[in-house]
Amino acid sequence: MELIRFFPASFFRLCEGTTLGQWIIHGQWYFAVIETVHIMAVAILLGSIAVVDLRLLGYGLRRQQVACIARQLAPWTLSSLAVMVLTGIPMFLSEAIKMGRNESFFWKMLLLIGALAVYFTLHWKITIRQPAEEGGFAKLTACLSLLLWFGVALAGRAIAFFG
Amino acid sequence: MHLSLLSLCQWLNDSPFSTALREGDYPFPIIETIHILAVAFSVGVIMWVDLRLLDIVMRVEPASDIIGQLEPWAIGGFIVMFLSGSLLFLAEPMKCYTTTAFRIKAVLLLLAGLNVWYFHGRIYRDFADWGAGAVTPWRAKLVGLASLLLWFGIIIAGRWTAYQQ
Repeated sequence: MELIRFFPASFFRLCEGTTLGQWIIHGQWYFAVIETVHIMAVAILLGSIAVVDLRLLGYGLRRQQVACIARQLAPWTLSSLAVMVLTGIPMFLSEAIKMGRNESFFWKMLLLIGALAVYFTLHWKITIRQPAEEGGFAKLTACLSLLLWFGVALAGRAIAFFG
Repeated sequence: MHLSLLSLCQWLNDSPFSTALREGDYPFPIIETIHILAVAFSVGVIMWVDLRLLDIVMRVEPASDIIGQLEPWAIGGFIVMFLSGSLLFLAEPMKCYTTTAFRIKAVLLLLAGLNVWYFHGRIYRDFADWGAGAVTPWRAKLVGLASLLLWFGIIIAGRWTAYQQ
């Protein structure tokens, strides 16, 4: 499955024709620098997600309360997410036509939508709004969150390997 | 035959194992994917230890408590990262040898190792004195800062190693 099936080809041409897209295509190191920042933000995001989710599963910071950990890590999760989006969009603009036909990119976007949906609804509820210490629901959400976020990273890596 | 890093890398490069890793369609992408997920996980976990040492997050929790509970996960992630990284090196020993970014990465890794060794040998020992205290000693803060800078340097150097052709 590819994005080109859902959006007109002109959309991808338009993206790649933007000033920012062209600027990155023609610069020698812009893409590499942006991608490096993107990957560092990935480490911060996955690290903060992993620590909270491991706690929900009963591992890691067991002596601290879920609410305490989640509230302190949330600003880091959210700001690394912002950096990832802000670096991800320019990267997409610079190779939009290729990404439209890239299967891995399609799956990455789908998993990202899933990960964001789970994070801002179920995950946010059980860690920030109404923190639950234990319980099957919390564990299930943690598993889902870990699978989705690591799935996003996996699909992201696959973009460069598979067409 | 004289032994040098160059001849060792050349010998490794020509070995059947290295050739198989390098020329196969699947080994490299699979190992690199595992490596990158392990990097994200372990650097992500190490970062919380560092930020706690710097008194930036979870300040009300004793540093010894946070570090003691997170360290097994950081070590587990590090082992996966190191083993998968070693295989990636074995796939392209000569490329690594000739790439400046990889040499920088190797030095930074060594420094990160020394940093942990210094922390455990000199600072962690006195944890009973400050681990549950309100103020983290400046030497422990320095270790946290060095670790953060070194790991992000390692990610940058690692990414740039892959960009070299």
